[in-house]
Amino acid sequence: MLLPDLMLGSTALLLERYLDILAARQRVTSANVANADTPGYRAREVDFRSEMQSFLNGGARGPFPAVTASERWGEGAKNDGNNVSLDREMQALAENGMRFSLASLLLQKQIRGVRNAIREGRG
Amino acid sequence: MSLFSALRVSATGLEAQRTRVELLVENLANSETTRTPEGGPYRRREAVFRSEPLPAPFGVMLAGLTGDPPVGVAVAEIRVDDTPPERRYQPGHPDAGAEGYLLAPPVNPVEDMVDLMSAVRSYQANVAAMGAVKEMLHRSIDLVR
Repeated sequence: MLLPDLMLGSTALLLERYLDILAARQRVTSANVANADTPGYRAREVDFRSEMQSFLNGGARGPFPAVTASERWGEGAKNDGNNVSLDREMQALAENGMRFSLASLLLQKQIRGVRNAIREGRG
Repeated sequence: MSLFSALRVSATGLEAQRTRVELLVENLANSETTRTPEGGPYRRREAVFRSEPLPAPFGVMLAGLTGDPPVGVAVAEIRVDDTPPERRYQPGHPDAGAEGYLLAPPVNPVEDMVDLMSAVRSYQANVAAMGAVKEMLHRSIDLVR
């Protein structure tokens, strides 16, 4: 985690954490989809805002703590006690993908910037 | 790397749904079967799912980065439906009893068809999840280009 601090600045570190949380969220979404027909399974979700907030409150530095997922309550469950909504998971999937590609594009730009600087320096 | 474990989670979903579809198709195919190796008419079979944590990859374990292990799905058991067979009056059938009643499997094709559609939809959802994860992995790989 030292490298981004020195080379790419704090924005890159924020983006890295952002991607990290998105990956964790994707994992949770995949688990929900896989268990869409499992009796008694409760859908899980990652509280994006609080994860990012606790990272910022902690001084926005690595190493990254594990992302926590909690069970989703207060929603109608089917007769077998399962409360996964496939439509909702598909929405999360689409949103996650778009957020991920935007953030990774931004990170890519940052890396390109540094690479360009190195190339110019070499003349 | 948590994205790879997301792929594995989706794979368990695909596997479980495939098993379910196989059983449903078996039920439909045997909706009129009156002779089985166990004797008597065919009995419906149904997959029962259970969520199951995946074993964490060694690297992630070592780094101590696991929040909670990713949860996949597995077929817990294949339940044989013990609904009594349907008594159908069909005196001409070779397997009909003395009074002309035939013991037929209690398969309701409509119920199985609806279940089949739901299984296919779940399968597609898992494929979509897999596709999204692959896309994210490609984006990550693009970072080093």
